[in-house]
Amino acid sequence: MAGKSRAEREALERQNAAIMAVFERAGFDQIAPDIIQPADIFLERSGEDIRARTFVFTDPAGKEMCLRPDLTVPACRFHLSHAANPAAEARYCYLGPAFRFPDELLSPQEFTQAGLEWFGAGSPIAAEARVLKLTISALEAAGLTRYRVTFGDLGLFAGLLADTEMPDRWRRRLQHHFWRPHAFRDLLDSFCGMRSARRSSISALVDKVAAGDALAVVAAEIASRNLPAVGGREVEEIAARLADKARDRRESPLASDKAEQINRYLAIAGEASDIDSQLKVIHGGRRYAGARDDYVRRLFEMEELGLNPRRFHFAAGFGRELEYYTGFTFQVEADTPDGVVAVAGGGRYDNLLSDMGSPVRVPAVGCAIHTDRLKAVLA
Amino acid sequence: MSAVTLAIPSKGRLMESAAQLLESAGFGIERLGAERGYRGRLTGIDGVDVAFLSASEIAQKLRDGAIDLGVTGEDLLREKIAPGDPAAEVLLRLGFGPADVVVAVPEIWLDVATMTDLDEIAESFYERHGRRLRVATKYLNLTRRFFAEKGVTGYRIVESLGATEGAPAAGIAEIIVDITTTGSTLAANALRVLDDGVILKSCAVLAARTGVARVPAVAALTAALESALQMGRTG
Repeated sequence: MAGKSRAEREALERQNAAIMAVFERAGFDQIAPDIIQPADIFLERSGEDIRARTFVFTDPAGKEMCLRPDLTVPACRFHLSHAANPAAEARYCYLGPAFRFPDELLSPQEFTQAGLEWFGAGSPIAAEARVLKLTISALEAAGLTRYRVTFGDLGLFAGLLADTEMPDRWRRRLQHHFWRPHAFRDLLDSFCGMRSARRSSISALVDKVAAGDALAVVAAEIASRNLPAVGGREVEEIAARLADKARDRRESPLASDKAEQINRYLAIAGEASDIDSQLKVIHGGRRYAGARDDYVRRLFEMEELGLNPRRFHFAAGFGRELEYYTGFTFQVEADTPDGVVAVAGGGRYDNLLSDMGSPVRVPAVGCAIHTDRLKAVLA
Repeated sequence: MSAVTLAIPSKGRLMESAAQLLESAGFGIERLGAERGYRGRLTGIDGVDVAFLSASEIAQKLRDGAIDLGVTGEDLLREKIAPGDPAAEVLLRLGFGPADVVVAVPEIWLDVATMTDLDEIAESFYERHGRRLRVATKYLNLTRRFFAEKGVTGYRIVESLGATEGAPAAGIAEIIVDITTTGSTLAANALRVLDDGVILKSCAVLAARTGVARVPAVAALTAALESALQMGRTG
């Protein structure tokens, strides 16, 4: 379809006006972030998977630019360039086009996204419940009646990991691999010593490092093979990683019951209001207990806002594809005769603004509605 | 039935090897004059026209449906048409032009053996240097597909259209994805292939637009080439 007719355009505009009215009534300022954005923020932050779906071009000065693939990053950029103190509370909403190479049914390459971003909220958990409430209210205002809500909570996982005894570098690697279920399982197995350490092309060097001083071994290796310094990594960094590898061999393996706890946690799924009965079976420590409290408080806040969590679904593994989220994440799917269609999603992303250059950490939570997909579902 | 069009590379070793194989299977190439020798037809079989194209164009033209059959490098084909993509299929692996598409890192990265190591490096590289690890390559799609399969995400591609192996030394990228036959060019540039860094063991292939394989002339051509390949192997 090369564009919209007058009737199609007006129908979409009516739907979106209903959505934006909900956001604005709740005190969110409507902003208009730039459509054309510097590409590097998206590319450095998102990695190649988003880059592959982003329209990137070079401006006459040679700078790499893009058509925004999403409005969260542009809203963050707007905030950092307008707010005197980035950590002070700010509430924004927006409506505008975003662009991606299409990847699935019902996703056109240009589409209109409505959303909101809430920075520096005083009570993070109440803000999360409120963002979910506003998303659902906006969808209902647009006419959606049959939908399901799924959420996840990376805070629970991070808490459980923090409470599980293991070297810090193992924890960092597991955290990093949370988004890649296969790699995660392999890594966890290797920490348990379930798979004998495979020899690789660098094992002989690790042997040498294990028996001596890493930096000296690496310096000698470089000198004897006359290796040129290319690739931008310092010799100290290379030696430190080899030393870590040597240390990993001496480390006592992760107890298999601990690994089992992590796997059992990740398999948890069910009705959101009843999930604590499953969460409490997992033996975490203080931090996990704290995250459980947060979860229960969030449910309470949802009920206070008139939501019914008995209708919502929780999955511990949910959010494994969405790399910048750091805590609560959610998705709303429309029920259609042809199956479910994701129409909105959101969550907490506390690291994004610092990654984009904010001198202070800015707690952030937001949501986005795919308005064209919603329109198609409601048609 | 109108003639099918077979594209073969217009120059280089791939063209010579393709011509030899066709000849050993009993076919000749007759060039037609008007378009300065860029079109022709096969002798020894009816209904097969020949187009001479640059090897890199052949996969795209197969996808576009501008040609029906093509002899090209598997690397070039797979860059444009993923395995399982209904646009085209490989009818025969021809064996000549063997080369590997590989992930290579600086030899001085003594702590990096596998794609898993690379993933960890990518993460710490971002933290230390504030930018993504850069991969120089002309194989944008092969690289994205392979890295995604291996769960490596924290990188960005720098498109390179020639002398890719020099990119790390020139400071344009940290690592490369490139094609190599003997590995000597990599070694000369102080680069090393990762243990699990072979993306594709490539050779020349005969590829066809989907559905074309059933055309009688194509079936006959494929069968004749296959037996010529077997003769070549045993003889």
